[in-house]
Amino acid sequence: MRQITLSQAVNEAIAEEMRRDPTIFLIGEDVAEAGTPFKVTAGLVEEFGTERVIDTPISEPGFMGMAVGAAMTGSRPIVDLMFGDFLFLIMDQLCNQAAKAHYMSGGKLNVPLVLRTNLGATRRSAAQHSQSLHALVAHVPGLKVALPSSAYEAKGLLKTAIRDNNPVVFIEDKLMYQDKASVPEEEYLIPFGQANIVREGRDVTLVATSSMRQVCEKAADLLSEDGISAEIIDPRTIVPLDETTILSSVKKTSRAIVVDEGHQSYGVAAEIASIISEKAFYHLDAPVIRMGAMDVPVPFSPVLEDLTVPTPELVAQNARKIVFGEMIHGL
Amino acid sequence: MASEIKMPQLGMNQDSAVIVTWLKVAGDKVALGDALLEVETDKATVEVEALAEGYLSGIQAVEGDDVPVGNLIAMIVDTDADVTTAQVASPSAASEVAPSVDASDWVEASQAERPQPEPFAEPPKRQSVPPPQPAPAPIVVSQAKVLASPKAKLLARERGIDLVALRVKGLSEPIHVKDLPLSQVGDHYALSAQVSQEAVDALLSRSEIMDRTMLFASFAAGAWRRFFEVEDVAVTLIGLDGEATICTNPDRGGEGTLNATSLSLIDLCETRLSSYTTSTVGVTLCVAKEQNAFLLTLSVSGAGLSMPQAVGLLNEIAARVEDPIRQLL
Repeated sequence: MRQITLSQAVNEAIAEEMRRDPTIFLIGEDVAEAGTPFKVTAGLVEEFGTERVIDTPISEPGFMGMAVGAAMTGSRPIVDLMFGDFLFLIMDQLCNQAAKAHYMSGGKLNVPLVLRTNLGATRRSAAQHSQSLHALVAHVPGLKVALPSSAYEAKGLLKTAIRDNNPVVFIEDKLMYQDKASVPEEEYLIPFGQANIVREGRDVTLVATSSMRQVCEKAADLLSEDGISAEIIDPRTIVPLDETTILSSVKKTSRAIVVDEGHQSYGVAAEIASIISEKAFYHLDAPVIRMGAMDVPVPFSPVLEDLTVPTPELVAQNARKIVFGEMIHGL
Repeated sequence: MASEIKMPQLGMNQDSAVIVTWLKVAGDKVALGDALLEVETDKATVEVEALAEGYLSGIQAVEGDDVPVGNLIAMIVDTDADVTTAQVASPSAASEVAPSVDASDWVEASQAERPQPEPFAEPPKRQSVPPPQPAPAPIVVSQAKVLASPKAKLLARERGIDLVALRVKGLSEPIHVKDLPLSQVGDHYALSAQVSQEAVDALLSRSEIMDRTMLFASFAAGAWRRFFEVEDVAVTLIGLDGEATICTNPDRGGEGTLNATSLSLIDLCETRLSSYTTSTVGVTLCVAKEQNAFLLTLSVSGAGLSMPQAVGLLNEIAARVEDPIRQLL
């Protein structure tokens, strides 16, 4: 099968859907000629023109508000938010308006909008361009949240997101744009709420979102050298969340580590870990471990920045501790 | 007429109260409403008043004692002559006695020092001295808290593994699944053996009065007696109608008496059924036919029979079925 980058996969998904449905348009900063800083939308303006691929002034609340209005009145906008950190700028448009319009209008309004943005540190972009803020939007009812972990997931999930009649926040890992994966030529969609068992294992379940899938795959390789067999589960969407797949994996392995690049406190890893503790308690042979980014602004210093995120070595180290029964809490 | 003074209920969630001070001593004459003693709960200190007049007698608790609500503290008797002074301690002495708050001390004291009913002139039943609060039943299960994973605890319970015993053996906490002994099969298990039916068939064909079920009951009883070195064995025969008949020492002509069943026997040879299991606690031997052999299944349910014991017992029974001469030896 052909190998394409995550960037190309997203581009293909947008192009295919725009060809299929003329109500879809793309809006954001530098989406047209520039093709975004990550070259994700390169070439789309040539095919679809500036009427459907719209460059905006540098005003995130402005174009997000326009897109929400357009979605309420029959269009299907795809909004490009250059950095996930800018979510803070569009919170009202996204969380107070888009997420609640259907509910507040008694079901008369739909907001079929996709907000594409990104997460991920270690790109030396400093504290205001390196955050992983998906927990913020996952907390708000009315928003679906997809976290593709490879080019394959990105294409299949984005097409599903575009066809969804609800607002979907689609968050890509900005470090993964050039990573290649096998992506079929023919059309496919990945349904929301269906986790992917990336690798089967026996001793410990690693629940890995987005960027952390690769980290966990490397951790699983390290662990196999110690004879520890790790199972990797990629939830793919955190809203809706496929609890069944996660729980049945943990019931099999009796141990779980949830790895997510958001800040560790009050985050997605905590939510999933809590679900595991509540619903698989009597199957657990070790405490459920959360692993997230350190609770600090992401440092600009490369040396320091690398210390703030979960690494394969750290995941493997925690996995060894719980498998060998060394993790003791509350003593 | 004697009257009881009991620890009053002073609050909704109050189980007991501490005696702060005695305001009267045994033998004191008290009038209705006189303050007798002060008690303290976690919320308040209250005076307990006399509800009858007479003489304070038979004091059961000293200052500092934590007394359960409803327990007898003292009596008020009618005459000076009825006063029992053999009490725990007089108020003056109590100030020197270290307060005892141990509940068991309290129970012992009340049993030892309880006033004898003789001094009361035919007291009506409801006013008779109540039996002291029964001491809490001795705790059999160890209250020791063992640190173990939820899964380890669940498996230990299922398999009947005592985690406290594991810790006593030197296992470090927290206990995980990997620390549980693998050999432990638990409380419920069944063992099967296939045994040739030739010898039994030959025996039955020679005797018209011999009954197959009783023959197996004899084998089982003989094996049990030999294996556990006991004199009397009672076998409960379970019929296919669910009726149970107890048969004592079937191999010795049914002599002797034994109340408790040693094991149960069900004979499925006349049916196409091959096994029977029940959740009833005990040891059950099930006999079925399988081609030209007997299928003996020994199921053990919470009977405290260890795996090696069950294996030994079933081997012993099987040996007798194979070679009935063994039964006579």
